[in-house]
Amino acid sequence: METTPIFKKEIASDSGKLMAKQRRFAYTSLVPILLYMGLFTLFPIAWAVVMSFFSYTPIREGSGFLGLGGANPFIGIDNYIELFTENTKPAEVFRLALKNTFIFTALVLPLNLLITLPLAVILESIGERFKTLFRAIYFLPTISSSVALVIIWSYVYAPGWGLLSLMFKAIGLVPPKSWLQDPSLVYFGVPLAMICVVIAHVWQDFGYNLVIFVAALQSIPKTLREAARVDGANAWQEFWLVVVPLLSRTVLLTSVLTVISSLQVFVIFQLLTRGGPQNQTQTMLLSIYENAFRFANNLGLSSAMSMILFIIILILTVTQFRILRTEWEY
Amino acid sequence: MTTSSNKKPSIGFVLGKSGAYAILILGLVGTLLPFFYIIVSSLKTTEELRQTPPDFFPKNPSFEHYTAILTDEKIPLTQNLFNSIFVSLTRVIITLFTSSYAGYIFAKYHFKGKNLAFGVILIQIMIPFQVVMIPNYLLVVKLGLIDSLWALIIPAFIDAYGIFMMKQFIEGMPSELMDAARIDGASEFGIYSRIILPQMGPPLASLGIFTFMSTWNDYLWPLIVLTSPEKRTIPLLVVWFQTAHVSNQGLILAASILTLLPIFVVYIFLQRWIVDQATSSAFK
Repeated sequence: METTPIFKKEIASDSGKLMAKQRRFAYTSLVPILLYMGLFTLFPIAWAVVMSFFSYTPIREGSGFLGLGGANPFIGIDNYIELFTENTKPAEVFRLALKNTFIFTALVLPLNLLITLPLAVILESIGERFKTLFRAIYFLPTISSSVALVIIWSYVYAPGWGLLSLMFKAIGLVPPKSWLQDPSLVYFGVPLAMICVVIAHVWQDFGYNLVIFVAALQSIPKTLREAARVDGANAWQEFWLVVVPLLSRTVLLTSVLTVISSLQVFVIFQLLTRGGPQNQTQTMLLSIYENAFRFANNLGLSSAMSMILFIIILILTVTQFRILRTEWEY
Repeated sequence: MTTSSNKKPSIGFVLGKSGAYAILILGLVGTLLPFFYIIVSSLKTTEELRQTPPDFFPKNPSFEHYTAILTDEKIPLTQNLFNSIFVSLTRVIITLFTSSYAGYIFAKYHFKGKNLAFGVILIQIMIPFQVVMIPNYLLVVKLGLIDSLWALIIPAFIDAYGIFMMKQFIEGMPSELMDAARIDGASEFGIYSRIILPQMGPPLASLGIFTFMSTWNDYLWPLIVLTSPEKRTIPLLVVWFQTAHVSNQGLILAASILTLLPIFVVYIFLQRWIVDQATSSAFK
């Protein structure tokens, strides 16, 4: 809370009037901003929560505020009960989507760390000029349009003549007839289509964690490593006993962020596999989108779905802030 | 830099320099090969694209798909390009103004309810887009903005992350100049526009670049609110090609590369800055 020091000492007599003028300016500037936030953020949040307790379809002329009521009746937690227990088509697909979203996230996180952590350590060890160049290129997919990247991956996974099939043939392996469309191809309980989406997504996303890890490695004081060397630690000991513990908080935080973003991946599922084959790559966000906008279904049910996803993300976000707030010093 | 010879870390030490470079180059090939493959494929003729098995490189590279997509009157490419550019630039300008202005108020003024007001703005960062996606759609319908480019702009006036970033920056600026200006009779808005704003080049540039890139690449929200072909943004055009022009692979490839191109051009010049910014923004 620092205020303007000169102002306090030298023109203290006018300060009351001036302060009032400044406060007025601050309030008049913020009022429109807050009204806007109310309309485009707070109101929609409340609307989504309320809608999840209604059976609501915009084509039905409801009564009352926002058409909630009348033909669009209040049904309590029936939407949630349907999603978790009933055997209606959207509920069954949603439960499958919930499972698939977790499978996807559970595969993306370790694969991402397995690539980015060693790569960051290697990248940090080389000269400055090459480091910048490599870093820039690894980061390229993360800034690219997801839509264009999905087109690229549809060429990689194209059956028969795609890049991946060609590479398989080049090294004498027989590629599967279809990478993305054969529901019978399941490895270790994970459908091949899901594995393909995970790989494409990690490719698109790894640059982000990579640059964060490189920055974290660079911020570890050299003196700590040197001290370990002086004490007779070899390279492996230095890495495992000095670098890894110091990196643990960054890795934890990055992992939470990766999980949060993995739960919300959309483009690749909607365009590369369209949730198929046989809903094997159907995810929560895709399910919400399709119910609300493609099948123009019950928006109340879709809102209940988005609330469930929201609660999962909220728990993770709170975890993330907890980690951020922990005291940390090298 | 006398310590630089000591800084060689363990993995590099164990693998040796050549091993380290071998892995890095392998990663490089893995990153670039998919891009490279569609770039060379986009230069193939339609016959070559249909050929099985395909050759990796085109025999006679040609730009026929690019000329086709640019000149075919049935494809509103120029209109769609204009839409993308218009929406992206408008959002950049608005975001830069609202973020720096609100950031200035939060950084330099003291008033009751400031923390509460800032908290309200931060809610936007906490709420994932999918939560407000359905009500925002209904709101846009009620406001009569459906199938209008303004549906991409009006709900995006305020960027909580931008306000946060600008507030951090302005807090670090000395207040003495502001007081001097007040004594000289400057209005509070004048202090913002003539003293604060001119010093904000670097953070505004970063915010502008990120806003431009994310708006240009945005897909889900435009997909929901835009319906007619001439209102589409470029990513929607690519998707439409993918569903409607399945027979013509060349057009899909050319359209994809046109989507990637503007971002790549920006990136080539500003890559170091963009990567550094992405890194530093991760933990705030």
